Amino acid sequence: MEQANPLRPDGESKGGVLAHLERLETQVSRSRKQSEELQSVQAQEGALGTKIHKLRHLRDELRAAVRHRRGSVKARIANVEPNRTVEVNEQEALEEKLENVKAVLQAYHFTGLSGKLTSRGVCVCINTAFEGNLLASYFVDLVIQKPFRIHHHSVPVFIPLEEIAAKYLQTNIQHFLFSLCEYLNAYSGRKYQADRLQSDFAALLTGPLQRNPLCNLLSFTYKLDPGGQSFPFCARLLYKDLTATLPTDVTVTCQGEEALSTSWEEQRASHETLFCTKPLHQVFASFARREKLDGSGLLIDCFHCTGNTSEK
Amino acid sequence: MDAELAEVRALQAEIAGLRRACENAPAPWEEKSRVQKSFQAIHQFTSEGWKSSKDLKNQLGHLESELSFLSTLTGINIRNYSKHTEDLTSTEMAEKSIRKVLQRHRLSGNCHMVTFQLEFQILEIQNKERLSSAVTDLNIIMEPTECSELSEFVSRAEERKDLFMFFRSLHFFVEWFEYRKHTFKHFKEKYPDAVYLLEGPSSCSMGIRSASRPGFELVIVWRIQTDEDGKVFPKLDLLTKVPQRALELDKNRAIEAAPLSFRTLLGVLGIEAALESLIKSLCAEENN
Repeated sequence: MEQANPLRPDGESKGGVLAHLERLETQVSRSRKQSEELQSVQAQEGALGTKIHKLRHLRDELRAAVRHRRGSVKARIANVEPNRTVEVNEQEALEEKLENVKAVLQAYHFTGLSGKLTSRGVCVCINTAFEGNLLASYFVDLVIQKPFRIHHHSVPVFIPLEEIAAKYLQTNIQHFLFSLCEYLNAYSGRKYQADRLQSDFAALLTGPLQRNPLCNLLSFTYKLDPGGQSFPFCARLLYKDLTATLPTDVTVTCQGEEALSTSWEEQRASHETLFCTKPLHQVFASFARREKLDGSGLLIDCFHCTGNTSEK
Repeated sequence: MDAELAEVRALQAEIAGLRRACENAPAPWEEKSRVQKSFQAIHQFTSEGWKSSKDLKNQLGHLESELSFLSTLTGINIRNYSKHTEDLTSTEMAEKSIRKVLQRHRLSGNCHMVTFQLEFQILEIQNKERLSSAVTDLNIIMEPTECSELSEFVSRAEERKDLFMFFRSLHFFVEWFEYRKHTFKHFKEKYPDAVYLLEGPSSCSMGIRSASRPGFELVIVWRIQTDEDGKVFPKLDLLTKVPQRALELDKNRAIEAAPLSFRTLLGVLGIEAALESLIKSLCAEENN
C-alpha cells in the first residue's frame, strides 16, 4: 500500500494542499471501503455459518431417512422396543443384540456364501452341496483396495479361478463370487456322484472308474448282472459345461459284441439317455433295483438274446 | 471463508445425492454397483476400527457391518435364526465310534419384496473315515403366495432338499421378477391405450392391441424358469390373435412364423427393444 506522503523528497508538492486533500480523500474512501468489505465479509461469514449449520442438519435428517428407507439391517436386528430402552440394562441389551447378530451371521453359511471382514478386506467362504448333501467348503481371501485382488485361496488348481477373476473381479465382485460358486458347486456335485459310484456300486463295475481331477471326464465299464453271462457296457461321460452336474456328451458302447441285437441296441440307447438326464449314482441305483426286480422286460429280453436260459 | 464455501458446496452436493437416494430406492438389478461401493465403505470402516477393543459396542458395530456386507453380497437379508441340536447316538453306535446328530434349524428373512421362513433338519453322521452332513427335511414358506412361478421353484427346492440352490436361485429369481414387473409397468405407462396387463403389474403376460386394428392382438408371455442346476432364466413367447380374414390374406405365412421370428428378434434387440418394436409395429398409425 502506498504510503501517502505529502512531502516527497523530489519536491513533488506540485498540487500542494489540493493534492494533499485528494490523497487524504482517497485514503478515507479506501479505508471506508475496506471496513465495508470487512463488515460485509463478517456478515457473509455469519450468514454462511448459519447456512452451514442448517445444511448439516438437513443432511443428517436425509441420511437417517435413507438409512430407514433402505431398511437398515441394524434397525431390524434391534429387538428392544423403543419405550423399554430406558428400563432395560444397556449392557444386557447390547449382549442380547450381539448374540442375535452372531447367530444370523452363522446362518449365512446356509446361503452358500458367507464371510468375515479382515484388515485387508474380506474372506469369503463358499459352501458347496449337491442335492441336500453338504460338501466341501472353499475360501477366497480378497483385498478390497483398488485394484481388487485375491490374497490367497483354497480353490483347487483345475478350477479356472484366474479366468473368472479376470472377467469380473475388478468390475463386479458379486458376479465374480456367484460365478465361482457355480463352478465350485458343480465340481463338488460331479465329484460326489463319482465317489458314490465307486463306493456304493463297485459290484456293478467291471473295472476301475477312470476320472480326471476336475471330474468332468469319466470312463468306466459296467454290467447289469454282475457274475452273469452278459457283455459289459463301456461308458464315457464328458461334462463340457463346467457349471453343470450332468454330462453334455455320453457314449455307451457294448464290448465284445460285433453285431448288436435290437434289444441290446435299445438298452444301450436308453442307458445313454439315462446318464444324460439323471445323476450318475442314481442311474446305478436304478440298475441295482432292476436287478432285484424280476419283471423287468428289457433284462429278460437280453438274457433271451444271449441264449442265457436263466428263468424268472 | 473459502473453507466454509467449500463446505457449503460439499454439503449441498451430498444433500442432492441423498435426496435422489430417498426418491429412488435401489432396484435389485441396480444394486451391483452398490455392492462395489459398499465394499469401499466397509474397507474404510474396518481399516479405521481395526485396532480392536474389547468394547461391546465396537464389537457389535463390527459384526453389524459384516452382516450388512453379507446381506448386500448375497441379496438375502436374514433376520432371525435359531438352532436346536439333538444327539441321536445310540450306545451301539458309540462303541463303534459312530456319532449321529440331528440339527433343527429355523430361519427367516427377506429378499427384496419376498419374505421367507425356512425350517430344515440336517443329519450329521460321523464315523472313523468321514463326516457326512445331509439335509433330511426342508420346509419353505414364502410370501407372496399367489405367484405361481415362485411356488414352482420353491416346491422343487423342497423336493430335492436343496437348501443352497434355493438361496442361490432366489436372489436371481427375484431380480428377474422385479425386472419383468418394472418393464411391463414402463410399457403400460408409455402406451396406456395399447398395452394391457391381464393380471395386474405382477402378471407374466402383456397384451398389445390397437384401436385402429380391432381383432388383432399380440400377447407376450414372459415366464421365469429355473433349470436343474438352479440357473434362472427368462423364457419369452409370442402369441398372436388374428381375424380369420387376415389369416386367409396372409400369403407369406408371416403370422405362422411370428413366434419364431419373435425369438430371433429377442436375440438381436434384447427384451425391452423387442417389446417396444412390437408395440410400435401394431400401433404404427396412432404414433404418426
